[in-house]
Amino acid sequence: MLLVAQLINGLQLGSIYALIALGYSMVYGIVKLLNFAHGDIIMVGGYIALFSLTFGQHPLLAAALTVAGCTVLAIVIEKLAYTPLRFAPRLSLLITAIGVSILLQNLAQYFFSASGRSFPGHLMIPHGSVSLGGVMVSYTSVITIVTSLVSMAALTMLVKHTKLGKAMRAVSEDQDAARLMGVNVNSVITFTFAVGAALAGIGALLYSVRFPLIFPTVGAMLGLKAFVAAVFGGIGSIPGAMLGGYAIGLLEVLVTAVGLSRWVDGVVFMVLICVLMVRPTGIMGRNMMEKV
Amino acid sequence: MGRRDTKTPFVPERDAYKAPVMECVNLGIDFGGLTAVNDFCITIGPTEICGLIGPNGAGKTTIFNLLTKVYQPTRGSVYLNGVDTKNLNSEKANRAGLARTFQNIRLFKNMTVMENVLVGLHNKTEYGLGEAILRMPAYWRAEKIARARTLELLEIFDMQGIHGHKAGSLPYGSQRRLEIVRALATGPTVLLLDEPAAGMNPAETEELMENILKINKVFKIAIVLIEHDMKLVMGICEGIGVLNYGKLIAKGTPAEIQKNPLVIEAYLGKAEGEGDA
Amino acid sequence: MKEFTISTPARYVMNTVLVLMFLFIGNHITQSGILLRSQYALLIQIGFFIILAVSLNLVTGYLGQLPLGHAGFMAVGAYAGALFWRAHLLPPTLSIIVGLIVAGVVAAIFGVLIGVPALRLRGDYLAIITLGFGEIIRVMLTNLDSITYGARGLLNIPRYSSFLIVYACVVITCTVIHMLMKSRHGRAILSIRENEIAAESCGIKTTYYKVLAFAVSAFFAGVAGALFAGNQGLLVPSDFDFMTSINILMIVVLGGLGSMFGSVVAAAVLTFLPFMLQPLADYRMIIYSLMLIIVMIFKPSGLLGSYEFSLSRIIEKVVNKALSLRGGAAKGGR
Repeated sequence: MLLVAQLINGLQLGSIYALIALGYSMVYGIVKLLNFAHGDIIMVGGYIALFSLTFGQHPLLAAALTVAGCTVLAIVIEKLAYTPLRFAPRLSLLITAIGVSILLQNLAQYFFSASGRSFPGHLMIPHGSVSLGGVMVSYTSVITIVTSLVSMAALTMLVKHTKLGKAMRAVSEDQDAARLMGVNVNSVITFTFAVGAALAGIGALLYSVRFPLIFPTVGAMLGLKAFVAAVFGGIGSIPGAMLGGYAIGLLEVLVTAVGLSRWVDGVVFMVLICVLMVRPTGIMGRNMMEKV
Repeated sequence: MGRRDTKTPFVPERDAYKAPVMECVNLGIDFGGLTAVNDFCITIGPTEICGLIGPNGAGKTTIFNLLTKVYQPTRGSVYLNGVDTKNLNSEKANRAGLARTFQNIRLFKNMTVMENVLVGLHNKTEYGLGEAILRMPAYWRAEKIARARTLELLEIFDMQGIHGHKAGSLPYGSQRRLEIVRALATGPTVLLLDEPAAGMNPAETEELMENILKINKVFKIAIVLIEHDMKLVMGICEGIGVLNYGKLIAKGTPAEIQKNPLVIEAYLGKAEGEGDA
Repeated sequence: MKEFTISTPARYVMNTVLVLMFLFIGNHITQSGILLRSQYALLIQIGFFIILAVSLNLVTGYLGQLPLGHAGFMAVGAYAGALFWRAHLLPPTLSIIVGLIVAGVVAAIFGVLIGVPALRLRGDYLAIITLGFGEIIRVMLTNLDSITYGARGLLNIPRYSSFLIVYACVVITCTVIHMLMKSRHGRAILSIRENEIAAESCGIKTTYYKVLAFAVSAFFAGVAGALFAGNQGLLVPSDFDFMTSINILMIVVLGGLGSMFGSVVAAAVLTFLPFMLQPLADYRMIIYSLMLIIVMIFKPSGLLGSYEFSLSRIIEKVVNKALSLRGGAAKGGR
């Protein structure tokens, strides 16, 4: 029973990682950028949700505001900081992303102070639990797992079965060829950032309910771990990001369960390094070869 | 000389009784399910200038990549001076005597012309890490020799005057020439040139032809070149290999190749009506 | 007219004399007590940041990789040096030197350990692995209570980091990396940044040189860590978090990727500025991060690009200018 409870716990955490990992993975797949600012978008999302809830907004409205806010923020970042560097060396782009990340953290620190604020999670998802086959599962877990599954299913549909999804896949395969085929590459890239950020917004809500404390660097570690999840599963691959998210979530919960909670972050990175040693492009990643 | 079977290994008469410098036996590679090169066999004499021609996408550059171990072959083997190159990677292949240029020029753009050649001379410049950091006599000696050698090599293309320029700032033709010098600096026994005349005007091509002949004579090395400029290929190559769909369809002298029906078919396509009967 | 040039031996002598004079005068000034405590502290801090930035520049600027765990190597060196010094095995002067070497060597070993697997991967993967490694180090330092005293902090570290020690290390770091880069080994490292496939085709042992650059870089980061420990007198693992790595990276990037002079200047300026601009302290990181983004967009090679300062080149220029003016005047007079 305890094991089952832990598994559900891990799945809940894993769902959150998976949602965030998808943003990293999609962006990486399309512009080959490790978007360091992604984690901080989640932090901003957390603050938006926090303020809209404390000002007495309906939870659904708060959720909508959060997702919209994250999306807009991502688009602004993409237009201002990343678009001018579309043809710059990759290193410059990566450093810019790091710059954006630090900027967001410090702006948050300036406006909201460095100390944490507790998140009224019960206003979002009420306390309580349901019994599933004899195991008590909290509403939070159920809603988190279901929401993330639905979001990921929607994303898969979007990528596989819509025109825009086809354009996204084309751009990630070969930008120039896609452009020649009449795909508006710029808007596809912006759209990808937006979708990733929308998922991050959902992730921000679910994460804040689970760990109800928001502070300016909350997104840093969360983002890193989600990125680890994306790399673990194979960056650029949507099922890979999901798989990686669940794997990291379960791993963390299991490590904590055996009493090594202080080693969690270390273990996560250790496992990542081991996976990359064996499969340099992650579990479901494709091998990319440089053309000579 | 009567009609020769183009299937038997061809090397120029001058090299006929010498051991070949390079031999490929049934070389092949698949990318995913796609066979890019298959059953590629060729023998290169120690001082031969060999041209490799074929339609676009025939697998010429892939063969260079297989020879220099940028890709590991799926099948077959390459022997260099009689030694199997199976376990080598790119850098070891170079030290075993293979040097190359690239179709899409790969110079060290932010380094000077001289530094580019000095990188080529890296393994010929012998001093250790400690000797470099402490500036021991060995460092000064070896650096002096290497710099003198660089100027000598640059002289082949009359480039010694621009040794201080950034490689990336050179005109296209000079970049191609510098790449050849850099490859030569590594002291190869086989020099692979991937479209050396691409982007050059007829006068430059003419000059390049003379220089390739000069390198062949002075350094006494084999040169294998991929080229679309038939004037260059027919003008300086003693042997020509023709590739189509990843297979060597013929190798022989320029005259033989020009008459070979398979080659004509590969380039011009089958004449209508012919072959159907 | 023959151009005036300074011969190589003369250049070496001139630079050595200048460096020794700098150390000697600096040492006198700091010992005379003219400087305020805060000014002295700042000077020392600039010292470690120069070492950290110049060593990171070797990997980021010259080798063209982006490791994000430089603070991890610094941490390893700091703890190794501090533990060695705390043991008081040797008389102080010898202990300082041996301690710094121990710190460097331990960090270099970690550099190789992480370098060998990490360098099989390219670009962003390398960044993330080194980042992960930095985090692992921090987690280990926090949890290995019996050795490091974890979050409570490692106390009573002898305060060995005087001006002379710190700046002697600065000079050694810059000299070694300069000598390395102006040799066939340095050219090999640059060629990998420029075009790895071409470098391989020239017979460069790319893996060896990547690991070498990593190890040398880690070595000096470790030395800087030990100097940091010897200055603070205490260490806590949170001194070496991800932001520390980013701070060092920021110095390297703003100074100019591949410019040692840029790293030195940027280390001094970025450490000095917040001290000068106390009233703007709240905005410091906001300004820095904005600068980072703006510099990347408008001048991706950093503020100084790959410019290297050379005193002898400047003297040569000035003398030649003077000579040509005089020559011109003489001709005109006739």
